[in-house]
Amino acid sequence: MSRKFAIRLFLFAASLLVVNFILDQTYRHLAFFNILNNSVDKQFLEYEDTLKYLVMGNSHDCIDTRILEHSFNYGSPSENYAQTYYKLRRVMQTTHKIPENLILFIDMSCFGKKISNRFDYSSYWVKYVDYGELARIKHDNNLLVNWFGGRFCSYAGNYKEIQLTLLYLIKIGHMELYRGYHPHRDFRNFALNEDKTKEARRKAELYFSKDDYFDPDMVLYFERLLQLCLDNHIRVILVRIPVTKEFWDEALKIVPADTIYQRVDSIIRRYPNVTRVLDYHDLYFGHPDYFFDPDHLNPKGSDSITTVLKRDLNTPMFHGPELY
Amino acid sequence: MLFNSVPYLIFFPVVVALYFAITRSWRWLLLLAASYFFYMCWKAEYVLLIMATTLVVYFTAIMMGRQPDRKARKKYLILSLFINLGILALFKYLNFFDSSINMVLGGLHIPEKIPELKLLLPVGISFYTFQALGYSIDVYRGTAAPEKHLGRFALFVSFFPQLLMGPIERSRNMLPQYRDPRDFSPQRLVSGARLMAWGFFKKLVIADRLGIYVSSVYDNPSHPSGLPVILATVFFAFQLYCDFSAYTDIARGSARILGYDLMINFNRPFIARSVSDFWRRWHISLTTWFRDYLFFSLSAKHKNRIVDRKIYLNLMITFLLIGLWHGAHWTFLFFGFLQGLYLIAEGLTGKTRERISRFLKLDRLPWLVHPGSILLTFFLICFSIVFFRAGSMADGFALLGNAVHLSGITIAIKDILANNEVTFAILQIVLLLVVEQIHDKRNLVEWLSRRPVFVRWPAYIGFICYVLVFGIMTTKEFLYFQF
Repeated sequence: MSRKFAIRLFLFAASLLVVNFILDQTYRHLAFFNILNNSVDKQFLEYEDTLKYLVMGNSHDCIDTRILEHSFNYGSPSENYAQTYYKLRRVMQTTHKIPENLILFIDMSCFGKKISNRFDYSSYWVKYVDYGELARIKHDNNLLVNWFGGRFCSYAGNYKEIQLTLLYLIKIGHMELYRGYHPHRDFRNFALNEDKTKEARRKAELYFSKDDYFDPDMVLYFERLLQLCLDNHIRVILVRIPVTKEFWDEALKIVPADTIYQRVDSIIRRYPNVTRVLDYHDLYFGHPDYFFDPDHLNPKGSDSITTVLKRDLNTPMFHGPELY
Repeated sequence: MLFNSVPYLIFFPVVVALYFAITRSWRWLLLLAASYFFYMCWKAEYVLLIMATTLVVYFTAIMMGRQPDRKARKKYLILSLFINLGILALFKYLNFFDSSINMVLGGLHIPEKIPELKLLLPVGISFYTFQALGYSIDVYRGTAAPEKHLGRFALFVSFFPQLLMGPIERSRNMLPQYRDPRDFSPQRLVSGARLMAWGFFKKLVIADRLGIYVSSVYDNPSHPSGLPVILATVFFAFQLYCDFSAYTDIARGSARILGYDLMINFNRPFIARSVSDFWRRWHISLTTWFRDYLFFSLSAKHKNRIVDRKIYLNLMITFLLIGLWHGAHWTFLFFGFLQGLYLIAEGLTGKTRERISRFLKLDRLPWLVHPGSILLTFFLICFSIVFFRAGSMADGFALLGNAVHLSGITIAIKDILANNEVTFAILQIVLLLVVEQIHDKRNLVEWLSRRPVFVRWPAYIGFICYVLVFGIMTTKEFLYFQF
């Protein structure tokens, strides 16, 4: 190799790295979900009130912290139990803020293969998730690629988020955030959808697969999460979130709800800190106007369910056995 | 190890650096070790199958080389064919035959069943077995001398860039290159890297994106509307092309950097004006393999008579086997049958079509005839490709039935237009076709090479960033791995 070519090769590689660094940093700081998730992290650090309820979960987590006092909503989009476990472990280690209760969502899709294999937004999750351990547990070395992407090349493959960020910057411009609660759902009304069943089927197929609805890796992380709470004297309140009737019917065509929840019951029975499962899945079957799509509540529905949850949490019946 | 994975992006530069750092006489050993390591990353013990194929073909070829005539060589060829096709049959076709027999037994209400052996299909087995067999036949025919150096021959069978998905190389092309490896060349590095980048674009930006839509339709064969089925089938044609040709590009690019030239495997198949033209442009290394080693052998006795009923029979046999080569499934067999049927129809109607064309003076209207031929060929390929992708024959026919079911077409069009991914995928296909068209007329690579650095480098870096931003980054296997 001639000296001239070696210098050129070096300069080209250096230019590529510089461009990559600029794109990576731009994305890291400007992408909508990074802004949202990092802002929630910042609010959690600044949160000084009693932490009676910490709410965690994915986009189905819709608890309005303005209604439920002494609570913080730490959910984030596409989050699965593995990510929740790593995040909770890490924030408790670094901030020493231990909640009294953890409100955790327990949808039928939570244990499915599709959710179990979904690890989006790596540029945010690299600070929490131990990708090495995760890859070992899931026997999937491709997760190391997620780590690599999240650490050095965050924009890669994320053109949809870039599109969303641009829309956000152009159309919305500011972000409402109340103790982690982001009324992020748009104000669409599912009741106005012309073909509810079709949309419900599409969403159900997105989450569920016929034979893989109870992934052992997700069960493992779910149990780790419960154990982590037990070790830290945190009560766990499991919540089955409301969905539309159309979505429920389509989901049942793919996965058996009874089998899933029987298995969940057999797991949680081993953890005395799991105080209750609050089942709201059919609460709004007659209220498609509370949803913006088949399985996500809009702000109207969020407020309603938070009010119901607050009422149930405050009923004397709810207070389970003293654990400690 | 997948080409589109971070491990390969580490493995390959390390191999290249070591390869050019050591003396030429030991490079074969490094490449052989790298190739076995590359394969063992998938399933270590299956490397023994490659070694078995290598040893059988090597020693039978050596024995054939010692025989004075074809007749004496024949028994060694048969031995090589028997063992290698036996291994292939065991791992790839045994389950197919078992399940087919069980299906017949079930149909006859016979309760006894043949137990099915669930063997994991070794990736690339069809590719390296056929490559090794091609060499055996060449030695038998006397068109290739037996390779004496076992290591170099083992490298010929297992060279990592083309081990898993071809191109199915010929010994006369590769063995001389292994005997006399080239030194490092900056030009080859640049052109190889360019070819690899183009391959990554086709795989990550186009094929994997199209795959999402194709799977959503083909995994639900009872899909009610016809338009999504038609669109998914067209998408699948491009997905298959982009996926497979991407692998070939990355393989050729990798080999080029190491100083080796692999054969071209695709030549813009979707501008083919007939099915025979399509097969001259699609998976060229496989088609020419079957042509040279099977079709010509079958037709040898009839070479003095060009039009012969037996030629058509041989054509059908060849394409049925090409179908079966793709996989042990009735759908692949039917795919091959349809190709055979098209080619027979093309051969039988050739003169009639010529007469009609002359009568209608169509030769004066190339602007109409050529696009029409391209579209008709594409339609025929798409029709057959439904069975290539469908999970079963029943699914294939269900999908074809749905394709003509065009009620609710306005809703389907609205859905498709509202789907950003579909729109983006279509734009990428258009981009691909335009670039290929321009490249065909005016060598884009040459043109770009002549530009100054301040044009060239931003173009390269921009292209890499484009692939990174718009590529689907969840590692997906190449489709032809299953074959």
